This record gives sequence, C-alpha cells and structure tokens, in this order.
Amino acid sequence: MTDTIQILIDRADGSLQRLIGLIERRGFQIDRMTIADAGAHRDVRVSVSPRDPTRCMDVLGRQIDRLVGVRRIHAAAAQMSAPAAPRVETEAVSCTA
Amino acid sequence: MNAVVPIIRDDLDAAAPMTGARLVVRSLEQLGVDYVFGYPGGAIMPVYDALPGSSLKHILVRHEQGAAFAADAYARVTGKPGVCMATSGPGATNLVTGIANAAMDSVPMVCITGNVATTLMGTDAFQEVDILGVTLPIVKHSWVVRDPAEIPAIFEEAFHLAASGRPGPVLIDLPKDVQVAAAEAAPIRMRRDPKARLDVTAIRRAAQMIREAQRPLIYVGGGVRIANAIAEFRTFTERTGIPVVSTLQGLGACAPDCPGFLGMMGMHGSRAANEAVQASDLLIVLGARFDDRATGKLVEFAPHARVIHADIDPAEISKLRHAHASIAGDLKAIIPALDPGTLAIDPWMIRCTTHAMRHRFHYEDAPGKGVFAPALLRALSEAAGDAFVAACDVGQHQMWAAQHCRFAAPHAHLTSGGLGAMGYGLPAGMGAKLARPDAHVVTISGDGSFMMNIQELATLKRYNIALKILLLDNSSLGLVRQWQELFFEQNYSEIDLSDNPDFVAVAQAFGIEAFRISRREEVSAGITRLLAAPGPCLAHVLINPKENVWPLVPPGKSNSDMIEGA
Repeated sequence: MTDTIQILIDRADGSLQRLIGLIERRGFQIDRMTIADAGAHRDVRVSVSPRDPTRCMDVLGRQIDRLVGVRRIHAAAAQMSAPAAPRVETEAVSCTA
Repeated sequence: MNAVVPIIRDDLDAAAPMTGARLVVRSLEQLGVDYVFGYPGGAIMPVYDALPGSSLKHILVRHEQGAAFAADAYARVTGKPGVCMATSGPGATNLVTGIANAAMDSVPMVCITGNVATTLMGTDAFQEVDILGVTLPIVKHSWVVRDPAEIPAIFEEAFHLAASGRPGPVLIDLPKDVQVAAAEAAPIRMRRDPKARLDVTAIRRAAQMIREAQRPLIYVGGGVRIANAIAEFRTFTERTGIPVVSTLQGLGACAPDCPGFLGMMGMHGSRAANEAVQASDLLIVLGARFDDRATGKLVEFAPHARVIHADIDPAEISKLRHAHASIAGDLKAIIPALDPGTLAIDPWMIRCTTHAMRHRFHYEDAPGKGVFAPALLRALSEAAGDAFVAACDVGQHQMWAAQHCRFAAPHAHLTSGGLGAMGYGLPAGMGAKLARPDAHVVTISGDGSFMMNIQELATLKRYNIALKILLLDNSSLGLVRQWQELFFEQNYSEIDLSDNPDFVAVAQAFGIEAFRISRREEVSAGITRLLAAPGPCLAHVLINPKENVWPLVPPGKSNSDMIEGA
C-alpha cells in the first residue's frame, strides 16, 4: 500500500534530511520523491509504503506535521498525480496493534 | 559557593565591537539563563572569550556528556531549558548521548556547538563533524547559524521551541567565522503562543466514558509534571476516587499518601498496578506514551479496556494503542475539564487497594544480614522528606529507587527513562543541586554506572556542589547479571566488576568526603551522616551481588506474567 504525501517545508539547513530521515526511521520506505522550488520553501511529494502492517500513515502524517519548518501537509492516496486532500484527523486508526 | 574566581575583563563594555560570539552571550543573558554547562575547545573559543564578565555562571565539566546530563537535570528540576556548550567534532559528539536522553524524556535543552568556519565545512577539516546531521533524529529542531545577525532571533526561537508544546532538545551550531564576524545586535522579542482551544466534544465523550466505566484506571506519565499540572491531577484523582498506576516518569504525580495509588506499572512495576491494568475496562492515559517497558507485550496489554488518551503531542495518540477518545492539548486545562462528577466505583476501588495492601513491599524481614538496598532507599527518602530529590543512574538501583523511594513530587525523581543511559546520575545530580541548593539532592548510583561519568567528582569539588552520592556496589553489572541468571541459563558473560577500585579512596583523592557502609546496622547512621554533610559526600554501600529486582515481567511477556524471586 503506497500513499503519497505532499509537504511544504522551509528551505533550511537539514530540512530535507530531517524529513527523509523521519520517514525512514518511523518504519516507512520511500518509493518515489519529487522536490519543487516554492520560494522560501520546498514543495515535496513523496510516495511511501510501510515496512510492516503496524506502521500507520496517519501517525506518520502527525509526526511529519510536528517537524519545525513544515508549513503544510496533505495526504493523497495511491497516485502521485492524485489531487491532494486535507489530512484526516486522528480518530479512525486502522493499524493499531 | 563558586570556588573559582572568574577573570573579570574590562574590554566587554559597550564600546567593544559586537561580534557573533558576543551576541551569543548577550542573547543567553537576555533569555534569563543563569547556568551554562560546558567545555571549551578550538571552534567555540570566541564564545568562551566573550563569557568572562557576563552574568552567566559557567560550570566547567570534565566531559561534555556531563554537561549535557547536568543541563538535562537542571531543566527537569526548574522547568526552564538547560544549556550546554561544547566545541566542534569530539566535543559535539560527546554531547550526543545527553541530547538523545533529553529527546526520549522530553526535556527542554539548548545545546550550543562550535564548528569549523563555513568555508571549511564539508572538507573534513580538523575537528569537523556534521553535528547537525548526526543529531537530526534526536533533536526537536536545529540550526546552523550562517549570519551572525540572526543569532538573537535563533536563540529566542530555540529557547521557545525547547520549552513549548512537548519539550525537547534543540541544537545551535555556530561556525567559527560566524562567531568572530562583526554583527549588529537585534532586539529579542518574546513571543506569545495563541492559546490552543480544547476539543470540547472529545472531552465530553471522554467524561461520558468515565461515567460508564465499571473499572476505570488512570495511567499517569511524565507529561503531567511537564504540563505543571500536578495540582489539577491530584484534585482530579481525589474527587473521582479513580485508582492510579504510574510510569517511571510519572512517579510522584500522586502524593505519597494517596490511597488510590497502586504503584508503578510495567516490567518492574507492582503486582497491584499491573493486575489493575489487566482488569480495567477504561484506561485514562494522561501524559504517557505506551512505552514497551510500561506495557509489556502490547497486544495483551489491558485487554478489556477502552482508552482515553490525553497528551500534548498529537503524534503520540494512537501511535501504539488505539484511543477511543483522543485529546491532544495542555493537560493543565484538560484534566479539570474531564471531571465526570460522582462515580459509583467503590467495589473496584476496594479491590484495587486491597490488592495493593496485599502485595505491598516489606522491609522488616529482609533476607540475610547484609545491607538490603530497598530498605536503605526507603529509609533515605523518608529521612530526606519532602526536600528529597533523587538523581538516579541506570540499573538495579534505579528500579529499586523507583519502587521504594518516597517522592513528594515528580521533579523529585530524575531518571533516564526512555534512553536508560548509564552515567546520568552523577552529572544529573550536579545540575539538580545547582538548581535546588536547598534540597537534599542524592545521586543514587551503581558501581557500573558510576564509572561512566566519575570524572565529574572533580566538578563537584571545584564548585563545592553539596551533592550526596549513594553508591550501591554489587561488584557487577547487576541488571545484566539478573537477566543472564533468569533468561540466559546463568551464563554470566562480562558482568563481573569485582576488581572495582576502592571508591572511598577514589572520592577522597578528588577531595570529597567519603565513607563506607557494609553492614545493616550501619545504615541508619550512614544516612544521617550523608544527609548532614556540609559539602559533597559519597557513601559507598556494599550490597549482595546476587540480589535481584522483584517483581519482574520477563521481556516480551504480558504484564499478567509477573514473576517473583525466591
């Protein structure tokens, strides 16, 4: 199951490393990634898939969201080209142990 | 109390040129910093050059890890960010364990590192390490300062970020050319966060769940202390009568005489606490994160319970256990708002407290004739009273302290919980004693942990920091030995420390008062002497190397599967 996340992040020392490192460290692999210039920010689209079924996209979204320098985050299911949808709030988590 | 007289320089008046380094010192002063724990070196020398004559009190440690741990404990006790400083390369990497420790336990800390000049960065220059890259997974945020004019704004943001929301460590890396460059001082503006709105619907749902529950249980973590919500928490538990279990970091949230407190949960928790969790039909989780040492085997944890999870960090909610009601926000506001009114849970309360009475620890019938560490720790904490602050190391002594000491408040118990970093105790005690000179601050250590930062005895002596050290010596790495005994067929591999140095002589060589306790009848007088000593003092306590920590949930097992020793 691949999900695509679109993130607007500050252009600052280590910001991309911070984002990529977090995704990998929290148990997801990066399948595809594009980075576009957005003035003082970078527009990052990243397709990720969990390494095991206990890893939850919703939790990853909130972990990315709390990174300093992340201005906006949208989740879009499956396709890179799919229109970005607002991230859904916490309640319905399907991947709990 | 500072035995070292700083060299007062007269060139730090307003006429001297403003540089990046001077802006660093001025920013720290303006942000209200009193203590900086650090160690100088080549790439941070301009900042050290700007230090003398400032209002900052610099504590020269003997290893940068000591600086980080001392700053961490200072922060836990005061609630203000602790500050540590080191040079580039090895100085910076020596901070790393301390930074990870602060990250795991959500401690506000500002770490300042020097670095090689920006023109040399990325060239493998002398003492160059990409410390920003090294520490990315363990900081809340970090900066490389490129423009000295940004220093006041970056420091202001760093202190704000470290302490706000879920606190954590931040790192500011200062290339040497940025430190020496001329810079214009920019004013520091204090920011105000907009007050977050409470999720009233979620709170209402949670209160309803509490009213419906037959066997509700509060699972309290360190977040209640961090939110400064102890008074609100105690009022809530008193009004509702809901029994409480605690994580390692939540100890002290309940008053010591609280009737509904069942003890610590988890691997070395009390049987009453773990049984209550397994039997409960509703867990009210306040400022905790379902750490594996607390939950045991997660899929079998609290199998009958629905979950209310309140925490400042939205990313913690439903990370490991699904929350039926999730409330992200400030516990100081959330806890009073959860009030469910009168509850009819007497049978459950009686069942829990009866179990707690039945399984309470006993001290009077300790085995053997030697010093019984649990009884000693209990007596020490009672003798020190409400002024007691324990700075624990990591190992059996840490678990005994958690199980047996009396803590008047959560900040009375400083312990490396998430990281479990041996070597925390001595420098942490140092930072805590500087923050609370009026308190009985006692480092509780073991012979393994103590050797990991033993060099800080020199810092204690230099500044005459009246820290008391209780060194429980079992001539081995006791917790590893216990696991080898129980889970590795008594294959004792590399745990023997019977060739330890004479710790009394070592302390005395550093100029620190020290004495030994080797028999049970010496304990009482030893506690009195330790607490009464006017300066730093070490009590070296010989304990039985075969003593184990009980009860215990074997690793990977359910909290239902507690085992007790013979």
